[in-house]
Amino acid sequence: MAGKIVVKFYGLLRRQVHAPVLEIASDELNILQLLQLAKDKTGQNFLSELLDPEKKLLTGTIILVNGENIRLKQNLETLVRGGDSIDLFSPAGGG
Amino acid sequence: MNGWMGKITKIDLGSLEQETVAIDDEMRRRYLGGRGLGVKLYTDLCSAKTDPFAPDNALIFMTGPLTGTVMTSGRYAVVSRSPLTGTICDSSSGGSFGAVLKSAGLDGLVIQGRADHPVYLYIHDGGIEVRDAAGLWGLNTQQTQKAIQEQTPAKTSVACIGPAGENRVAFAAIMNDKDRAAGRGGMGAVMGAKNLKAIAASGSQAVTIADPEGYKAMNARLERIIDKNPVTGKALQVLGTSVLVNIINAHGMFPTENFRRGMFNDAEGTSGEKIAESLLQRQSACYKCPIGCGRTTRTKNKHGEGPEYETVWAFGAQLGVSDLTAITEANYACNELGLDTITMGSTIGCAMELSETGAWKEKLDWGDASKLLAFVEDTAYRRGIGAELALGSKRLAEKYGRPELAMQVKGMEIPAYDPRGVQGMALSYATSNRGGCHMRAYMISPEILGHPVFLDRFSTVGKAEIVALFQDISALVDSTVLCRFLQIAMGISTFTEMLRTVTGLDFSDEELLKIGRRIYTLERVFNNRAGFSRGDDTLPPRFFNEELQTGSSRHRLVRLEEMLDDYYSVRGWDKEGVPLPRTLAELGL
Repeated sequence: MAGKIVVKFYGLLRRQVHAPVLEIASDELNILQLLQLAKDKTGQNFLSELLDPEKKLLTGTIILVNGENIRLKQNLETLVRGGDSIDLFSPAGGG
Repeated sequence: MNGWMGKITKIDLGSLEQETVAIDDEMRRRYLGGRGLGVKLYTDLCSAKTDPFAPDNALIFMTGPLTGTVMTSGRYAVVSRSPLTGTICDSSSGGSFGAVLKSAGLDGLVIQGRADHPVYLYIHDGGIEVRDAAGLWGLNTQQTQKAIQEQTPAKTSVACIGPAGENRVAFAAIMNDKDRAAGRGGMGAVMGAKNLKAIAASGSQAVTIADPEGYKAMNARLERIIDKNPVTGKALQVLGTSVLVNIINAHGMFPTENFRRGMFNDAEGTSGEKIAESLLQRQSACYKCPIGCGRTTRTKNKHGEGPEYETVWAFGAQLGVSDLTAITEANYACNELGLDTITMGSTIGCAMELSETGAWKEKLDWGDASKLLAFVEDTAYRRGIGAELALGSKRLAEKYGRPELAMQVKGMEIPAYDPRGVQGMALSYATSNRGGCHMRAYMISPEILGHPVFLDRFSTVGKAEIVALFQDISALVDSTVLCRFLQIAMGISTFTEMLRTVTGLDFSDEELLKIGRRIYTLERVFNNRAGFSRGDDTLPPRFFNEELQTGSSRHRLVRLEEMLDDYYSVRGWDKEGVPLPRTLAELGL
């Protein structure tokens, strides 16, 4: 395992997860599993900011794996492993 | 009449003559109000040869049929020819001024001529009084609003210029309701050239609603839609528009040091999250707005509004500056002096690169926040280095022989999204009728933020159709005149419903899209006459030739030629970007 998976929290997630960065040591897992693990490790149920009750991505949720949007990969089934950097953004707007 | 007040007045500030502008029902239905009707009236009155600062140039303030009715309806549009770009230009602003202007009895006013001394207009009971403003000339925008409010009834709303507009800085803004700005394109300079310091309005006339019962039920439903949407119901309120800083940076397209890089090391320190935990005093909202994206902030020395996303970038990453207090105070200064923050910051960035290359003898350093306030103030008064910055980036870079270092389209500085990381936005910038602007077709929504649908930002396939559609919808919403943030939660059919309920006219979605297309095409016709064509629908060479080196947009370039012909074809324009006769005929132009 090449290092830890680095999970960074942004937007509204920051109000729930008080540290902006979480490092997770894990075997390869998918994004949904990673989110569950992050929820357990932080003790904060932030998933509702990202997922609907059916555990699908909310419109506007952005999850990047090494800068690439998981919607262009395998969505929540995208696999990640040690050394990957994951950015979690709750839905946002602006301009 | 339902929706509209039914009166637009034209005033000549030279002769002081006033007349009612004849608008028939058909023209209202074809152009609605705001940007659309403003552009129609402008192009009827002025030619493409009209100098923006000449007395005969028209400056048009316009509300729309929804102004003063549903949520976010305090807005107004200003239309004229831009002194920054030479294109047709509209600029819109929030607050309550639009709603108050309508309550004073007018849908809009058309201003021509030049006063022989500084004046302001006071509008009430459907009439316009021309008042002396000699004592106001030289005051900043906050002082001006306060002084006029002391001379007028309670709840008077004021739109005014500051010293930058008086001094005809080509990117001077019009400010209203304290810190709301019609920022882009130099409408404040046009106002200054007319010796017009401000427009104040007060009144109590109500907008007549065609279907009051339906209106009540619709409003309750709209509130629920806004509240339920995670962006309009929560994210914009809590974090403001600067929540985009980290998002755009993570996509490797947060323009840094005049677009030489796409990632800013200190993005986090200037983010919406950081502002919320440091400078933010409270959220602020425009007239009847349930969203409340505005930021009332305080630094150690001052308080005011902002910064919003574009400003955080313009005085931050664009200059390599990470000092959030300096960014915020530069924003306050722009608000007070009446300057567009995007063009101001981008022009300083251009100057920094000119300095670095040795093309300009002035010594400006990336990351140096210590001179920001002086740059802003000197620009408004056109003194010292500010006399050069007041040119805007295009003219400044041309003057020093390096035109490619101005990050602009048609003379307007492009905002805080590097087009190399987002192909649809690149096409949107290139084909925008007022120059480098994100508000003509906000492709960041689908290409980055994922609403209403998620699109691959690096693909060019199908982008032409979507950019044209977004441009049409934006022109439509700008003519109603409502806030674009409603589009985050609402589709075209909701705007149709609002217009039907308020005006009683049987609008359809198709008709509204056609109205948007008509407006966009009419703007294009004016620009063609002013000499703009395919060669102007482009971007600075940096975006075609220099790859970004870091982040998730690295090795990317803009592929405009893959989209431009398609775009013209979708639009019904020829290969030079000129609308075909059949297109004009279809739109009744």
